[in-house]
Amino acid sequence: MSISTTHQIGEKRTDAWSDLLGRVGKQQDQQAFKALFDHFAPLIKGFCLNNTNQGFGSDCAEEIVQEVMLKVWQKAPSYDPSKAAASTWIYTVMRNARIDLIRRNKRHQTDSDPVDVDDLWDDDSETGPVIQFQKLRDQEVIKESFTVLPSEQRQALTEVYMKGKSHSEVAIETGLPLGTVKSRVRMGLQKIEAYLGAKAARTQS
Amino acid sequence: MINHHPDANMLVEYASGSLPWALSISVSAHMQLCSQCRAKHQQLSMLGGACLDDAPSENVEEDSFARLMGRIESSKNTAQKSAVKVPQSKDVQTKQLPKVVQKLLPDNLQWRRVSSALKMARLTTGQEQYEVAFHKISKGGKVVEHDHKGLEVTLVLEGSFSDEGGVYQRGDFIVREPGQTHRPTATLDQDCLCLSVCEAPVAVTGWLGKVINPFLSIRPA
Repeated sequence: MSISTTHQIGEKRTDAWSDLLGRVGKQQDQQAFKALFDHFAPLIKGFCLNNTNQGFGSDCAEEIVQEVMLKVWQKAPSYDPSKAAASTWIYTVMRNARIDLIRRNKRHQTDSDPVDVDDLWDDDSETGPVIQFQKLRDQEVIKESFTVLPSEQRQALTEVYMKGKSHSEVAIETGLPLGTVKSRVRMGLQKIEAYLGAKAARTQS
Repeated sequence: MINHHPDANMLVEYASGSLPWALSISVSAHMQLCSQCRAKHQQLSMLGGACLDDAPSENVEEDSFARLMGRIESSKNTAQKSAVKVPQSKDVQTKQLPKVVQKLLPDNLQWRRVSSALKMARLTTGQEQYEVAFHKISKGGKVVEHDHKGLEVTLVLEGSFSDEGGVYQRGDFIVREPGQTHRPTATLDQDCLCLSVCEAPVAVTGWLGKVINPFLSIRPA
């Protein structure tokens, strides 16, 4: 039983930002891009300043904003609003830009590197239409689920995502045993998954 | 059927970008073979998107958008000039390999014999923390029992092998921690090709170790 038979494809909703991003991709719409920039640039900067782990200063955060939004413009033609919400898509562009920047700073990266960040975090891999469709609804539910997590689990996930820290770095910083950090992250994810499952069951019945 | 996957913690580190480069290569290669982990990764990216939505907003510099549009203009010109890279398949057999692994292949792969049943070829990946290599166990071949001084990830690419823990097939992602000894044996039907990512030299246990260990240095690249 596929989810696409219970929900009409036509019922799919995209949020305003995803519409704008779609327009940037299809028509190089500069007005839409300006609106996206005004919304996302401050969030990207805030996100990166939060990223104390990499020691991003204000200059550096400003540089990342430029990098990310440049990539958003360049990659927008490959954005498919039915596959991902704008915030998720921009998050992945930002994650890749951060990894790239850190690698360049550490002089790991040379032109002769056989693989680059977009080879490793390749979001183009085909996923079935069912998964694609589900993705869109999941986006909203995931946001909800985040708010119902116990604070310690939410905090652990936030450390990992917002601050870009590995589990062992979180453990060192918080003074918690590594196993505790790992299990909080894992339990947080399980709760989110359970929440998604419960929602899906409700919409199908 | 893939039975062994990166755990949730490793996937989260991959999705949030804090997993070391070499391990990220192995997770990426696994995901290209595993739709289940691809779907999980999508969810984890959505979680990242949710975090971005909730990030504290920080004003950007006033000329930020104007500078960006300037860069976009100038990048348009250079983008048109640069030639499009055509991916080349270096070997017919490589078509079965995950894309990211194909890209790692040098023009001529240098195989080195480790033992009668085991060959290895090191890969350059642009990092200094882990050794990334192909290991090939000949069909029915047994690898000497060994321990690990650091984390070792093995991704089966062709064929299958077994050890004390089970049978592993194409796409299986096996993590060995320091202190876990094992003795892999390839199945009889075909050679087994694996991608391996090792943090520290593997240590051969038993009397043979005294002979072989000095030669088993890792060379991250």
